[in-house]
Amino acid sequence: MFNNVMGLILADNKKISLGELSGPRALSAIPFGGRYRIIDFMLSNMVNSGVKNVGVLTYNKYKSLMDHLGTGAAWSLDRKNDGLHILPPYVNSEATNINGDEELAGVLDFLRTSRATYIIVAASNVVLNTTFDDMIRSHENSGADLTVMYNRDATKYGSPSYILDVDDDGFVKDMLYNPQKSSSNKCSLGIICLRRDMLVDIISKQMSHGLTHFGIHSMVKMFDEIKVHAYEYKGTALRINSVQGYFNSSMSLLDESVRNDLFWSGKPIYTKVKDEAPTLYFDNADVSDSIISDGCRIYGNVENSIIFRSVTISKNTTLKNCVVMQDVHISENCHLENVILDKNSFVRPGVRLVGHHDYPVVIGKGAGI
Amino acid sequence: MAKADVVAMILAGGQGARLGVLTKRIAKPAVPFGSRYRIIDFPLSNCVNSGIEIVGVLSQYQPLALNTYVGNGHPWDLDRNNAGAYILPPYQRAGESSWYKGTANAIFQNKDFIDDCNPEYVVVLSGDHIYKMDYSAMLKSHIEKGADATVAVYEVPWEEAPRFGILNTEGDDAIVEFEEKPKQPKSNLASMGVYIFTWSTLRDALIRDEADPESSNDFGKNIIPMLLNDGKKLFAYRFSGYWKDVGTISSLWETNMDILDKPEDINLVDRSWKIFSRNPVKPSQFIGTEGKVTNSALTDGCRIYGDVKHSVLSESVVVEKGAVVKDCVLLPGVVVKEGAHIERCIVDFGTIIGKDVKAGPSIEGEGPYTNHKICSEGICVFERSLKIKDGAVIPANSMIDSDIEVSDEENVIESTFRV
Repeated sequence: MFNNVMGLILADNKKISLGELSGPRALSAIPFGGRYRIIDFMLSNMVNSGVKNVGVLTYNKYKSLMDHLGTGAAWSLDRKNDGLHILPPYVNSEATNINGDEELAGVLDFLRTSRATYIIVAASNVVLNTTFDDMIRSHENSGADLTVMYNRDATKYGSPSYILDVDDDGFVKDMLYNPQKSSSNKCSLGIICLRRDMLVDIISKQMSHGLTHFGIHSMVKMFDEIKVHAYEYKGTALRINSVQGYFNSSMSLLDESVRNDLFWSGKPIYTKVKDEAPTLYFDNADVSDSIISDGCRIYGNVENSIIFRSVTISKNTTLKNCVVMQDVHISENCHLENVILDKNSFVRPGVRLVGHHDYPVVIGKGAGI
Repeated sequence: MAKADVVAMILAGGQGARLGVLTKRIAKPAVPFGSRYRIIDFPLSNCVNSGIEIVGVLSQYQPLALNTYVGNGHPWDLDRNNAGAYILPPYQRAGESSWYKGTANAIFQNKDFIDDCNPEYVVVLSGDHIYKMDYSAMLKSHIEKGADATVAVYEVPWEEAPRFGILNTEGDDAIVEFEEKPKQPKSNLASMGVYIFTWSTLRDALIRDEADPESSNDFGKNIIPMLLNDGKKLFAYRFSGYWKDVGTISSLWETNMDILDKPEDINLVDRSWKIFSRNPVKPSQFIGTEGKVTNSALTDGCRIYGDVKHSVLSESVVVEKGAVVKDCVLLPGVVVKEGAHIERCIVDFGTIIGKDVKAGPSIEGEGPYTNHKICSEGICVFERSLKIKDGAVIPANSMIDSDIEVSDEENVIESTFRV
């Protein structure tokens, strides 16, 4: 547990689009795993590591993110000292251009007001449950200027991937972006730690070169100038880089070992509380191999699916390999397979909709079919 | 504290002895109910939904779980700057101190708290009923009628009236008499244990009641008759929604089953009147390949690999492969091992039902755990934090209590542990 470490989460990623799912919201605000948003995992990891000062950097589409995070109370980050700081792009006296795209300037202020020694900077397209104690210790022991977390099972999760070439002492000597052919299976998880004052220096330097965008891998890429160490994460890590990646990651939660690693390791994943009623399973409900959240009413068949809060699944309806987000209503006599239904969507009676497991159908937020 | 028009006081200090082992370690209002709630969530949520922002929770018996649960009131939005939830235990004073002697004495001992809020009206609530009620509508009636006290009443079937505190009324529901459990009831209007008083009237009555050494310091028995004698204006306020007392094992079980059999009655999904509760921070439920769940209510953290029928499961309950759970109420963290078959059981926090255990009304006979005083209708109750021996056979109406001394061969408890 730390009291000298702060955190920064990049809530969105301009290189990653999840089509209709990321249309209305930042990447990290996409619902995941029945009752979470993607950002809940990284926020909880930070809180579970004892980090009490967390910035969340956004650049647009941050309404749903702000609704979700609120004061940070759900993560015990509603604090007088430190706490949760949402960092939208803004123009301040240090801004050099005024197009509302000044991420770096906004971050700089946040960094300067902290007294923390170290900072963990994390992307939000990865779902894992860990604490950062071991990574920080490894960072201190290696004498590195910056440490980047990676894991080894990455190749199947698609673009963008940053493959690390690491020397015998664990220092990064090359980094390849979406390589066609790779000599290494060490794929960055987009989580770095470094000294706070070093990050301030790096950002100041980048700004004086006219840069505005904050990028984790643009710092890892500085391996020629600073010592960049690689730290291997061996637990479960799910990458969400595309609709396909989202679908695969969701479905992998039906695997017991993945669920145990992400949810039952003793480190809770916090999320916004909704106070829904318990879920009711009625007479003919037939549910197997599925994750079901509170507030649902289930009359039909659900197989191999992830059901979020307050979903109604009516009689004689079958769902197979589906991800159904909050407040969706599915009427009677429907058959849905390999479908992702975004929040508040509505399926009228008798609809038959079958996607392919390599190409799920996505029904956008609030749509009616 | 800021001045408030109305302050609510929840009487949450009672033991609830009729719930047997369920209230051995915690006060009745903290007993889990309906999969994701505690009993006290209902009056607390009713207060908040009615716009009452100052809520005193009078705790006395086994207060730890209740105090921890209510905490700073955050889950009910009762963590306000100048208002909120206040835990009010009995305390020591210069010269004298005493436990809460009765419901009226509990309020009397906290009159300084109420005086500090300086309200016009005080709502007095009991912490052992399941219902959704708008106290502001009742207050409106209290004000319109110029009442000194208003008592919420529920029309019960005539044959059940002798079990309740009955209010006899005339005209526009003016109360003329209160009778505790009358053998020949003159009315079927049962007191719900929900009172609104004009504070100045109640304050005066409490002081006089306290001075009477003969009084049992009880609202129904003493305060209401005193106010009637004084010629004060008391009115009954008729409530017709869902209202259930959960003071006994059988009523607790039945009320849980109502969520499954008559979900529209209590209507927990109504977003305009949510029942708030402290969240356990657990992942969603998981139903495995061979799991089967029908006619049941489940919440976060449950993992079901067996057969669950017509049951209410609290957070993080595990039902293993081949186990059958029917007509049961399983409280947080209960584990039902492989091959166990339990029916009509209420199992408290974290107890592990061993492999192939059989329990329920279909098992005849009596054993050392048989308890007809607490258990009825074949319902079995299990104390918290027990490991029940594999293969144990437990007949109907048993209360599994680690304090009961039994021979080794009859003992169904393998061990006890703390959750």
